[in-house]
Amino acid sequence: MNVQNKEKVYSAIVYLYLVFVCILILMPLGITLYRAIFNYDENGNLVISINAYFTISEGFWEKLQTSLAIALVTVAVTMAVSLPVAYGIVRYEFRGKKLLFTLLNGVWYVPGVTYGLSLVLAYYFVYRFLLGFWGFVAAYSTGFMLLSLLTTIVAFKNFDPVYEEAARCLGAGRLQTFLRVTLPLIGPGITAGVILVLVLSLNEFITALLISLPTRVKTAPLQVFSDIRHAGVRPFVAAEATVLQLVSLAIVIIYLKFFGTKYLRGSIMI
Amino acid sequence: MQLAFFFVPLIMLFIMSFTLRDSFFFSPIFTVENYLKLFRIYRIDLQNTFFLAGVAATIDILLGYPFAYFMLRKVRKFADVFRAILIIPLFGELYIAYGLLYLILPGGPIAHILESLGISAIAALYSVPTTLFALAIYTLPFVVYNIGVSLQGIERSYEEAARCLGASPIQTFLRITLPLSLPGIITGWLTSFGWNLGAYAIPILLGGPILGTRVLSNQIWTTSLVTSDFGMGSALGVIVVLITMVIFYVVTRISKGVLV
Repeated sequence: MNVQNKEKVYSAIVYLYLVFVCILILMPLGITLYRAIFNYDENGNLVISINAYFTISEGFWEKLQTSLAIALVTVAVTMAVSLPVAYGIVRYEFRGKKLLFTLLNGVWYVPGVTYGLSLVLAYYFVYRFLLGFWGFVAAYSTGFMLLSLLTTIVAFKNFDPVYEEAARCLGAGRLQTFLRVTLPLIGPGITAGVILVLVLSLNEFITALLISLPTRVKTAPLQVFSDIRHAGVRPFVAAEATVLQLVSLAIVIIYLKFFGTKYLRGSIMI
Repeated sequence: MQLAFFFVPLIMLFIMSFTLRDSFFFSPIFTVENYLKLFRIYRIDLQNTFFLAGVAATIDILLGYPFAYFMLRKVRKFADVFRAILIIPLFGELYIAYGLLYLILPGGPIAHILESLGISAIAALYSVPTTLFALAIYTLPFVVYNIGVSLQGIERSYEEAARCLGASPIQTFLRITLPLSLPGIITGWLTSFGWNLGAYAIPILLGGPILGTRVLSNQIWTTSLVTSDFGMGSALGVIVVLITMVIFYVVTRISKGVLV
C-alpha cells in the first residue's frame, strides 16, 4: 500500500471512531425523540405523529416558563458577579489566587444532592425570604459560577490591555474605560459563559429536586422526573423530555451559528 | 455570594452531621455517632458508589483519550460539529437515563436484538454495565476537555524530534505523547469520578432496585428526606463533599488551566 492510501485509510478510521462516539452521545436523545414521535395506531402499524406533544401534562408549559425565567435571571446574576471577579483575577497579581479560585468554584464539584441538602437547611434557617424563585436563582448562580468565570477569564486573557491603556492615557476614567472599551471588546467572548449557564440552569435537576421541597415552585425538569417515576416510558413523558432537550439544543445551535465554537474553547471545549 | 450560598450552607450541613436524627430542628443533641455508624451501615453504598464512579471514569478515559487526540491532531473537517455534540451530555443525566431506559426496556427498540443474543432485556436493563455505560456518556465531555487541554500543551517539536530520531508513530505516542499528557488523564479521571459520585437519576432509573438505591447520592436523599434521619444524611453528605474538595484541589493543582 502506498503512503497516500495509508493516510486515507487512517483518516477514515479516525472519522469512524469520532462518529461512533458521537452516536453513543446522541443515542439517548435520539431514542427519546423516537419514542415521542413514532407510535403504533389501533391496527399495530407504526405511524409518525406529534400527538404526544399535545398530551403533555398541563402544568408542564407553565413550569417551562418558570424554568426559562429562572435561567435568564441566573445568567444576569452570574455575569454581574463574574465580570469584575474575572477582571481582577486576570489583571492583578495577588497571593493566593489559586486558592481563591478553588474556594469560589469548589461548588462545581460538589454533587447536586449534597449541595441541595445544604441549601435546604440554609434556606430554612437563614435565608427564609429567599424561598421560591429567588432561591433557585441563588442556588444556580452559585453553582454555575465556575462556567461563567472560566469563559470570562479566557475572554479577558485574549484581550490586549493596550486598548485600555490608550483609553486611560486619553483621559478616560477607570469605569469609563471598562464600560466603553473593555466590555464591548470582550463582549463576544463572554457570550460563551452566558450560553452555558443558560442551558445548564434550564436543565438542572437534582439540586432543584431538593430546594423545591420547602417551596411549591417546580421547574420543568422536576416535572419530567416525577412523570418518569409515575408514568414510565409513555409517549407524553418522552415528549416532555425532548422538549427540554430540543429547546437547549436550539439555544446552543443558534449560538454556534452566530459565534462558532471559538469562544467556548478553553473553558469547556478543546 | 459564594460565601452566602456555598459556605454557610456547607457549614450548616457540617454542624447537622453531628446531631442525632432530626434533633437539629428542635433541640440539637450533639454526637459523633453518625460517623461511627456510617462506615458500618453504609459500607455497601460507599463500595457501590466508588466502584461505579471509578469504573465509569476509566471507561471515559479509554473512550475520551482517542477522541481528544483525534480532535486535536487529525480532524480538519466537521471539527465544530463534534465539539457541539459534546455539549449534549451536559444537558443532564436525567435525559441520558431516560433514553437508555426506553432503549432496553422489554418491548423497546433493541429488546429483541438483545434477546436473540441470549440476554434477557430485564437483566440488561437493571444491570451494572448499563449504569456504567450511562455514567460514562454523562461525564465524557469533562474527560475529553481535560485531556485535550494537556495535549494542547505538548510541544509538537518533541514528537517530531522522536520521529526524526527513528521512532515509529506508535513508539512516539507511547514514549512521548502519552507520558506528557498524563496530567490530563489524571485530572480527567478525577473530574469524571467526582461527577459520577453525584449522579442520581442514572443509578435510580437504570441501576434497578438493588444497585440503584444503594449509592451515596440516593442514600443521602433517602436517609435525610424519607426517613428524616437528617444527621446521618448530612454525615454522608459531608463525606462526599470532603472527597470532592480533595479532587477539586488536586485538579486545580495539576491542571494548567486558565489560571496559568
